[in-house]
Amino acid sequence: MKKIITYTILILFILIAIGGCERDEICIDPITPHLIIRFYDTEDLETFKPVNNLLVKIMDKEFEVVTTDTLLIPLNVYDSRTTIVLTKNSKDSTQLIQDTLTVNYEVENVFVGRSCGYKSIFTNINYQNTKNWIVSKEVVDLQIENEDNAHLKIFH
Amino acid sequence: MCSTLSFSQGIGSQQKDTIYKNKYGLRVGIDLYNPVYTFIDDSRKGLELVGDYRVSGKLFIAAELGYLENTTDEDFTNFTTNGTYIKAGVDYNAYENWLDMENMIYVGFRYGFSSFSQTLNTFTINNDPFYDDISEVETGEKFDGLNAQWGEIVLGVKAELFNNLYLGFSFSGKKIISSKQPNNFKNLYVPGFNRVFLNNSGFGINYTISYLIPLYKKPKQ
Repeated sequence: MKKIITYTILILFILIAIGGCERDEICIDPITPHLIIRFYDTEDLETFKPVNNLLVKIMDKEFEVVTTDTLLIPLNVYDSRTTIVLTKNSKDSTQLIQDTLTVNYEVENVFVGRSCGYKSIFTNINYQNTKNWIVSKEVVDLQIENEDNAHLKIFH
Repeated sequence: MCSTLSFSQGIGSQQKDTIYKNKYGLRVGIDLYNPVYTFIDDSRKGLELVGDYRVSGKLFIAAELGYLENTTDEDFTNFTTNGTYIKAGVDYNAYENWLDMENMIYVGFRYGFSSFSQTLNTFTINNDPFYDDISEVETGEKFDGLNAQWGEIVLGVKAELFNNLYLGFSFSGKKIISSKQPNNFKNLYVPGFNRVFLNNSGFGINYTISYLIPLYKKPKQ
């Protein structure tokens, strides 16, 4: 009989201990996706072509200058438009050349989970741009729901 | 307890065939966890009535009836759950009482059902830190007509403090069977179930004080 009591109390304490140590859930699911832009060579449409010393500016905030063929742009979920200023050769004032890309979209909020909360997805996207160094573009996806692939190809 | 002391004189005597009697009846009480919690933190308001009825020496039919309003504050959401619940099942007393004592160390099973609403008070969109400066708090909607049903395993003790007055403590492990979920949100908290963890499990702690309304006595089995 004493055994039963001992075991019951033991089990109770173990269960409480487990309950108390339950780990907080951490957000590991994808949240609001970025707009993924990939830069291609206008002479060879299959080949990536990095943009030299590219300066990206959104809402008057500048990102670090990079030479890259891939951009991840955070779209503004509190507006239906994000304007991105793309400056090529930004480190050389005689060579620099600027283009503006405007992205229009509708924002939809989707519940992800306890730890991640809500994310936004973007639908009915349309792009407008100036053509100083950008030759042409190809829209891969009319909506941005994830970051599995590029959404926009820019040829230069 | 007092009655036991006077009774225990009988142990040494020759009355080997003493027949002890068990009290049978309806035990009703109240959960103490909610009122105490409300006192410390007003994000939770609730009331739970508990009751059990003895059907044999070791078996009790048990039920709980409750109301709960609970606000959960997560990193990106803040919501209030509001609803009522009922749990019904059995308790099996595994404790072999001395003499005519009526204490319990028991295991039990419950089926639980809750009907509730979730109000999404505020939420922020989980977005790139680039927009942290302008992140806006948005007000959500109320989701009505939700429900959930679950199973529960209970481990607990009940001790008779004074004549017919019991103090109880129990721990329960729970698992959701099915749930009517809101559209574009989730039942992260269910009245009577408490926090719903990732694998649809949960746990609960109860402190109860209850009174036995004795109806009749039967010889101890």
